[in-house]
Amino acid sequence: MADIAEVLIIGAGASGAVAAKHLSEAGVSVVCLEQGREVSADEFYGDKPEWELMSQRLWHPNPNVRGLPTDYPIDTSESDVNPLMFAGVGGSTLIYAAHWQRFMPSDFRVRTLDGVADDWPFTYQDLEPFYDFMDVEMGVSGLAGDPAYPPMTPPPLPPLPIGRIGRLAAKGMNDLGWHWWPAPQAIPSRAYRGRSQCARRGTCMQGCPEQAKASTDLTHWPDAIASGARLVTGARVRDITVNAAGLATGAVWIDRDGVEHHQQAEKVIVCANGVGTPRLLMLSGGGQFASGLANSSGLVGRNLMMHPYAATVGYFDEPLDSWLGPAGQAIHSMQFYETDKSRGFVRGAKWNAMPTGGPLGMRSAYGGAPLEEAWGENLHRSTQKRFGHSFEWGIIAEDLPDPENRVVLDDTLTDSDGIPSPKIIYRNSENTEKLIAFHLARQKEAMEACGATSISTTTLMRDCGWHLMGTCRMGNDPETSVLDQWGTSHDVPNLHVLDGSTFVTSSGFNPTATICAIALRSVLHMIETRAEQRTAS
Amino acid sequence: MSPLTDDQRRTLARIGDELIPAALGMPSFTEAGAADAMTDHVLSLRPELLSDLQQALDGIAADEAPAAATARLNRDDPEALGVIGLVASSAYYLMPGVRAIMGYRGQEHRPAGEEEEHDYLRDDLLQPVIDRGPIYRDPGAG
Repeated sequence: MADIAEVLIIGAGASGAVAAKHLSEAGVSVVCLEQGREVSADEFYGDKPEWELMSQRLWHPNPNVRGLPTDYPIDTSESDVNPLMFAGVGGSTLIYAAHWQRFMPSDFRVRTLDGVADDWPFTYQDLEPFYDFMDVEMGVSGLAGDPAYPPMTPPPLPPLPIGRIGRLAAKGMNDLGWHWWPAPQAIPSRAYRGRSQCARRGTCMQGCPEQAKASTDLTHWPDAIASGARLVTGARVRDITVNAAGLATGAVWIDRDGVEHHQQAEKVIVCANGVGTPRLLMLSGGGQFASGLANSSGLVGRNLMMHPYAATVGYFDEPLDSWLGPAGQAIHSMQFYETDKSRGFVRGAKWNAMPTGGPLGMRSAYGGAPLEEAWGENLHRSTQKRFGHSFEWGIIAEDLPDPENRVVLDDTLTDSDGIPSPKIIYRNSENTEKLIAFHLARQKEAMEACGATSISTTTLMRDCGWHLMGTCRMGNDPETSVLDQWGTSHDVPNLHVLDGSTFVTSSGFNPTATICAIALRSVLHMIETRAEQRTAS
Repeated sequence: MSPLTDDQRRTLARIGDELIPAALGMPSFTEAGAADAMTDHVLSLRPELLSDLQQALDGIAADEAPAAATARLNRDDPEALGVIGLVASSAYYLMPGVRAIMGYRGQEHRPAGEEEEHDYLRDDLLQPVIDRGPIYRDPGAG
């Protein structure tokens, strides 16, 4: 592979796919290196009886549980939360729930409004046109007019039905006078651009066998490849190379036969998620950059945010069909999203009302019960109580950036190619713990209001780090940020990052809509300013 | 070829019935027929469980009462009890007869009809939320 790509993209997930499509459609020569492989819909178990069984291993979101050669192991011995991800074409969108949530205007002005963390280098209004654009590309289903947001362009598809669990949850919220709204989802309520209508199997988080859910292997990669982008799978990058002038020149990668290659490029875009991206930057640069590439600020890997997840499950006498999808959310609530300092903490959380799955209890991560409760006659009693008769209010808790929460290179652990693994050092803050306690108390009230006969809570689910953010933050000051507002390194002008690493704060929302909108904004800027950019050639 | 010896399968049946007894209208593990081909099917899909399962079953004497064995494992070797329970419950809830009693047809292909959409607008369930108006903070408003 001696050709020099105009742009090398590392990682074929959400942001990598958006970048590849738009760059290649603009006539830019693109090579993308992806350590995983293509996954076909018939590999998913959602349309097979064994779905729950396989969700606990092969399609588990924790790479340490899956243990596939395409995954890299992660040392989580000093973390309250396990990071979750999937390496492959489409990346973690293959197994995300497709909550398609915009951040709120206040999320971009946290320092100004609440005196904590930092403001973003752009506003909600700056990002809004790109949210609109991504809604169309992904095929978002939703209902316009949510009073939790400023007025916005309606999504292209009508909302999915909220079902029995959504209606029950909504009645409770109405009794309390609290906000709720049919949830926006990157799941088509009608057949859309070659994808099927959602069949409501409720298996979104183990892959969609219907080819309905908007994963970027379906929404973006076919267009990118048709426009000339070259996608190389099984390509694990171990080093981003730089020249004497400090410009990126490409990357060294290893194929599945263990052979090393060097892909030359005029620009490099890293899209390897909030753990994989800082890992790769810390591995790169050789002796020229002692603390890793693009790291003069010392902030590469720091300020990791993962959205600690807590939940309340309510049990009801009436049948709720609570195995019916979509898996992620029927309705959402932002009643307690904005800061109210009288609560004793700042910031807030989104709630999502979710189904509770099949009989085996796919939510094994919620913890085991004692012998006498878990087995014997009580197994049947608890299954009959939960299965088809329960729903969950989940909490996406905003965790604030803390430089001590970080990704570092592990001293001993490596992936299957011998490359040092990441280690996660992450602790919940006192603000987060107060936030979660407050929200769980309110959720208990919401469950009581809609008639739950009993209620259980999970204060923190360890396998909840779906949202990996903050480890290469954007900002205007090179001393306090890694990237500028376009995702360009302050240190290496032809090196860019477009994934969740770029986030300044985490918000209390699922981040993929914002990751994609930021990637699109940055890539269109890159195309517009193509002639002015410094490159290695 | 069966992944379990006859002794191991007999032990699995005894412990399986202790963990999943006939009660509350549900059959036991063996009454449901889960101890044989379906257990083998589970192990074929999750081969990484086999070694731990065999070891757990081999650690239970033929004359040890099932209640005593599960209590002992729960106290001394919860991982062994865990793997037996995982295999047994996985096989049990895959049995078509068990699913039929529960009214579970698996994760269904049930696309929504248009009549299911917007019911909250037709019956005004959403109207109180609309009437209360905006709840977001506008940073530009100071």
